[in-house]
Amino acid sequence: MIDPAPTDAERFPHLSEAGATLLKFMREHPNAPRYRNHSGHRLLEADLAELRAHADEVAQCNVDPRADLNRAWQVDFVQRALRHVPYYRRYGSMPTQLAHLATIDRGTLARDVAAFVPDDLPLDRLINFRTTGLTGQPLLIASHPLVAARYLAFHQRALRRFGIELQSGPGTVGVVLVGWQQRCFTYVSVTPLLGDCGLAKINLHQDDWRDSADRGQYLDALAAEIITGDPLSLGVLLELPFNHRPRALMSTSMSLTDGLRLALEARFQCPVLDLYSLNEVGPVACFDPRLGAHVLLQHRLVVEIVDADGEPLGGGERGEVTLTGGFNFCMPLLRYRTGDHAALEQRDGEWVLVGLSGRAPVRFRRDDGIYLNNIDVTHALKPHTMAQYSLVQRADASFDFSVYGPMLADMAGIETALKDVLGENCVLRTRHVREVCDKVVQYRSDFPG
Amino acid sequence: MSAKGPPLESLTRRLAETPAAFLGEPRIGPKGNIVVPALVRDVLARHGLSVDVSTLERFAPRDVALDRNPRMLTQILCWLLVDESFTGRLDAAQVLKILLDEADLLAVTVAAREFVDNGERREELARLALRTAGMRPLGESLNVAEDRWLSVSTAERVRLNSASRAAEERARQIRESLVRKAAEESADKWSRE
Repeated sequence: MIDPAPTDAERFPHLSEAGATLLKFMREHPNAPRYRNHSGHRLLEADLAELRAHADEVAQCNVDPRADLNRAWQVDFVQRALRHVPYYRRYGSMPTQLAHLATIDRGTLARDVAAFVPDDLPLDRLINFRTTGLTGQPLLIASHPLVAARYLAFHQRALRRFGIELQSGPGTVGVVLVGWQQRCFTYVSVTPLLGDCGLAKINLHQDDWRDSADRGQYLDALAAEIITGDPLSLGVLLELPFNHRPRALMSTSMSLTDGLRLALEARFQCPVLDLYSLNEVGPVACFDPRLGAHVLLQHRLVVEIVDADGEPLGGGERGEVTLTGGFNFCMPLLRYRTGDHAALEQRDGEWVLVGLSGRAPVRFRRDDGIYLNNIDVTHALKPHTMAQYSLVQRADASFDFSVYGPMLADMAGIETALKDVLGENCVLRTRHVREVCDKVVQYRSDFPG
Repeated sequence: MSAKGPPLESLTRRLAETPAAFLGEPRIGPKGNIVVPALVRDVLARHGLSVDVSTLERFAPRDVALDRNPRMLTQILCWLLVDESFTGRLDAAQVLKILLDEADLLAVTVAAREFVDNGERREELARLALRTAGMRPLGESLNVAEDRWLSVSTAERVRLNSASRAAEERARQIRESLVRKAAEESADKWSRE
């Protein structure tokens, strides 16, 4: 049975007059899309003080992601997980090193998320987020309004790297989350931590609008301080005629190519942040072009890079990103293998993930029989402006390359770049897919061997 | 339990003072430093016993998530069983039963380290070992020893059963609670993954 839909009073406790006016404005604007859903922050008065303290801590902290069971917070976190989380209880006693514990992965969580909820956690405010990920394996994430609200502190930390302090307040729209999907969860809300400033989650797909031309006008009307989305939806923004210039764009969900980032920066004259963020742990890192890597954001998150057996790899070695800790107290993670790959290094005094890419590395066979890593393809395609693409090597060694979303790059130039790495004589087919395609596996090889 | 054994306190104290070498990580793949089958072989040898290699291999942990805790408890039991009071009192089957089967059962819900750090758990383990060896603590009559054993083991069984029922009920509540929420009718995030 589904719970009855919450009321606005439950979604927006202590809603200010300015907040109520803004909700009405965003919902009833003549250019507004057809909002299909409802949601709200659900934060209570007592939560706000906790969130402000958390934001201060995040703003001032040093990030050191190394596993070290001499550090108090790591000991407390692991001890509590071993004692109170049903799944981890079977692990037994506190280890001297984190690496002595087993790793888990998305499949472990998907089998029974209930086993990961601490047994002393009250369930009355439990909420969930659903995700299918690239594998299509559905996953339900146990969460809480406080957890969702804590994202903001990490966004602010990332924005500060680019010299941006959020200024949104009463009567202004703080953020517009843009999607570009056939079906998308859309709603309006307010953010009480920033004076009930507005939040709108919209779908740029034309089916959500009475008139396609409303999209740009609505974005101008909202004049959001920040726009967030994924490379596909941000790529669509490039095609829309509107004048508003947000103070920053934030991209999540898929890797953002340098080409698209530069095109967005040129069009909107603002920084474009590439966030590495997971439903399971929230924002993990933000790409810094100066360092050429993703800078870690969370101070209570251990990052290990492990091999296929879950063994930690040495500094600078590339392997699977594995996480312990985080701020979701509803689902503490101990050695969670993300499925993403990178190397962990210190650059300019900061801990960074280098060469971050989703899923395990894929080997492609060149026309001369030499194998290369998908990273080489990523590097070759960096300068080209694409929202999303995929490269598949077929069993007969030929290649299919697809560009998804708006076509912002020159396909001939892409073919040249690909042949430079895959070999002049390789068989390469290219295509452009304009329709919405939510989940794309970027690299795959069916070639035997 | 017909034979008189050592004072219970000498065994519980022995457990409380388990050397660090027996509390290390069991070797599982490349991890850990204690080779549990070798440790078991040594304990058997101290009792003048031996078993074939395939039997010892049953002590080799393979899965970190499932085997780490039971084999740590095997290590602690190894330390207990080399107490001189057990010399000549156990045959190979009894040693294997306590080191493998009993350890597996006890480690399902209790962290191995608890049998060192917690007084009640120490008593339970000491009485279990004595009972397996057909002994009772010095100064206890047969009836008293039986009552005390039932008391610690039953209390533990009741606690485990009740914890298990509570855990199942709790898991059911969580699953229902999560499923009851309408899809994505959740709280705000400034970005979606």
